[in-house]
Amino acid sequence: MSYIRESVPSHSMKRQTLSNVLGMKKIDRESRETVGAITSSDTRISCRNVNVFYGEKQAINDLSLDIGNNEVISFIGPSGCGKSTFLRTLNRMNDTIPSCKVEGEIKIDDKDIYHRDMDVVPLRAQVGMVFQKPNPFPKSIYDNVAYGPRIHGLAVNKTELDEIVQNSLIKAGLWEEVKDRLDEPGTGLSGGQQQRLCIARTIAVNPEVILMDEPCSALDPIATAKIEQLIAELKERFTIVIVTHSMQQAARVSQRTAYFHMGHLIEVGDTNQIFTNPVHPLTEDYITGRFG
Amino acid sequence: MSPSILLILLLILAYVGFYAGKKRAVGCVEGKVKFLHSLPGFYGFYVSLWSVIPALLITLIWLIVEPVWMTQAVTAQLPEEMINLPPERLNLVLNDIRNVVNGSTLATQSDSVILDAASHYESLQSLSHWLMAIVTIGLSMACMWISCQRIHQHYRARNAVEKAVTGGMVICSTIAIFTTLGIVSSVAYESFLFFQSVPVFDFLFGLDWSPQTAMRSDQVGSSGAFGAIPLFTGTLLVSLIAMLVAVPIGLMSAIYLSEFAGPTFRATAKPTLEILAGIPTVVYGFFAALTVAPFIRETGEAMGLSVSSESALAAGLVMGVMIIPFVSSLSDDVINAVPQSLRDGAYALGATQAETIKQIIFPAALPGIVGSILLAVSRAIGETMILVMAAGLSANLTFNPFEAVTTVTVQIVTLLVGDQEFDSPKTLAAFALGLVLFVVTLMLNVFALYIVRKYREQYE
Repeated sequence: MSYIRESVPSHSMKRQTLSNVLGMKKIDRESRETVGAITSSDTRISCRNVNVFYGEKQAINDLSLDIGNNEVISFIGPSGCGKSTFLRTLNRMNDTIPSCKVEGEIKIDDKDIYHRDMDVVPLRAQVGMVFQKPNPFPKSIYDNVAYGPRIHGLAVNKTELDEIVQNSLIKAGLWEEVKDRLDEPGTGLSGGQQQRLCIARTIAVNPEVILMDEPCSALDPIATAKIEQLIAELKERFTIVIVTHSMQQAARVSQRTAYFHMGHLIEVGDTNQIFTNPVHPLTEDYITGRFG
Repeated sequence: MSPSILLILLLILAYVGFYAGKKRAVGCVEGKVKFLHSLPGFYGFYVSLWSVIPALLITLIWLIVEPVWMTQAVTAQLPEEMINLPPERLNLVLNDIRNVVNGSTLATQSDSVILDAASHYESLQSLSHWLMAIVTIGLSMACMWISCQRIHQHYRARNAVEKAVTGGMVICSTIAIFTTLGIVSSVAYESFLFFQSVPVFDFLFGLDWSPQTAMRSDQVGSSGAFGAIPLFTGTLLVSLIAMLVAVPIGLMSAIYLSEFAGPTFRATAKPTLEILAGIPTVVYGFFAALTVAPFIRETGEAMGLSVSSESALAAGLVMGVMIIPFVSSLSDDVINAVPQSLRDGAYALGATQAETIKQIIFPAALPGIVGSILLAVSRAIGETMILVMAAGLSANLTFNPFEAVTTVTVQIVTLLVGDQEFDSPKTLAAFALGLVLFVVTLMLNVFALYIVRKYREQYE
């Protein structure tokens, strides 16, 4: 509370609390301490004091956040604020960047994913990821979806594999559109269909968490609407972390929202509260369009 | 006036034309350049192009026609008995005359008829060159004046210059095509002559190659046998050995360089690998003949095999090393061109690095890899120097890599080296072999390009 500006006499503590509740700006604009509840009642992923460096440059500063079971949490913030970097630390996709270094503690189901003994292969099967640009493999639609189950040996025979592929495509809302042309190349689909194919590919390995890195930024509004509808259905089964540039999208799909600014997690809270009543001045600037 | 001085004069005229055109264009609008249709420089280029190109064309035609006309004129002046000589003897006489004119034969050594003819030739030549200079420079100045007169405020000089530049680029780009056509037609013509003395079927499917033919009618033996199958099998055998070396090593190094190696190692290793492609093939040749072949022979003898000192194996191995960079460098580029997003997609599904390379990257890069291998094959088939030095000359019909074999390219070299009659089947056979080689490598290249093109867009 040390960052709260002493704009009212210190003896009237009641008034101060009240003004906080009313959303009056009590927080110093320069404060980089996270505002809001970083904990969750039913924690699935727990991050404490995470720092990420690209070589000398620090991309994430001392970030702590819990992500709950079966919740949709969206990360918003201006470009380069570290939201995608943080997303990629959750399934160690940053390992592919040689200069990237992660400090701190990230636990999924109480297992430290940056522990020496952690194998990234099962981790990434457990934490799936959908990318900004649809990236189907240059294989058939069927093989795209069957790829994950095959490499993880999830199906004993062809019938089981067929079933997994069909179920995944149904869950991704793509089955009706492609059921007659499963052996055509996945790259021949439209952008929105390709992205849903990538989602089907991700859920085919039966992950617990799905990370989505701006999944709609390369899509038109209709395809975006379909993906958002899909997210609403998927949250029944999966924990979803979504990075987005569209505040409307964050407001539509997520229960919790986290606002990032220059590598700091500025504010996190209930999506409604963030968009109607942001506490931190930086969050308010971003939400109201004064910044970013 | 010699043609080279004329050329310099033309360039000076072009320079003058540039400033004349520019000045006139600026003068048209009294210095207000913005009212001109094109920038002043374009008017300059327009005039200078007009003052050079027609004049150059005339010079070119003149230089082509001049010798023909002069030969006729000089021949007409020769004594009766010389004119009636058979054509090839007459050519020799004319050659003598030209040699005297050029100063390559001492004038005192030639007889008076030749000397007279030579002085006649010389006087004609200088007259012709003076005429050419006057005509060319006159034409150049006339064109300059006319094109200057055509310049006015709204004249579209830029469009005219752009058209000329486009034409120039079209000519440049078709030079390669016309060269290819020229080579093909000359090789095809000589091969046609060859196939008049040796049937096509005997050439393509004959099993016996011994191209020595009698040069004089009193020579015995050496009737010549032109069955090219031993050469084809030899070429095939050596290329196969080379590809067995180059494809695995090249591909593995490409995969290592693009997927596993750190940036520092890659920055050193890739150029080093490409140095292999820069070593002259002659150096590879004596490396194969003096180092590898004896080593193979001694190793083979130690194991109780009979290995000839020039073997297909030695030549093939060294050639394989030579074409490693063709496979590795091209494949490395292709593998690097596979988008990072595909790798990310596979890793995000929990694929290991090996699975990603085998199942995602390799299939996506396959068309390019196949293309690089086919290019390497056509390089291997066309390679000559290593084989001349290390594979031997005997046309054995064998698939035993320890024996000496000979290849199409080696035979072309041996058929055409030394003093030859250029109308015997022996030398003409070289053209037929060249034609076969050309057709095969052309088909391989076309096929490689087809594959690369057909599958290129799959991941874009």
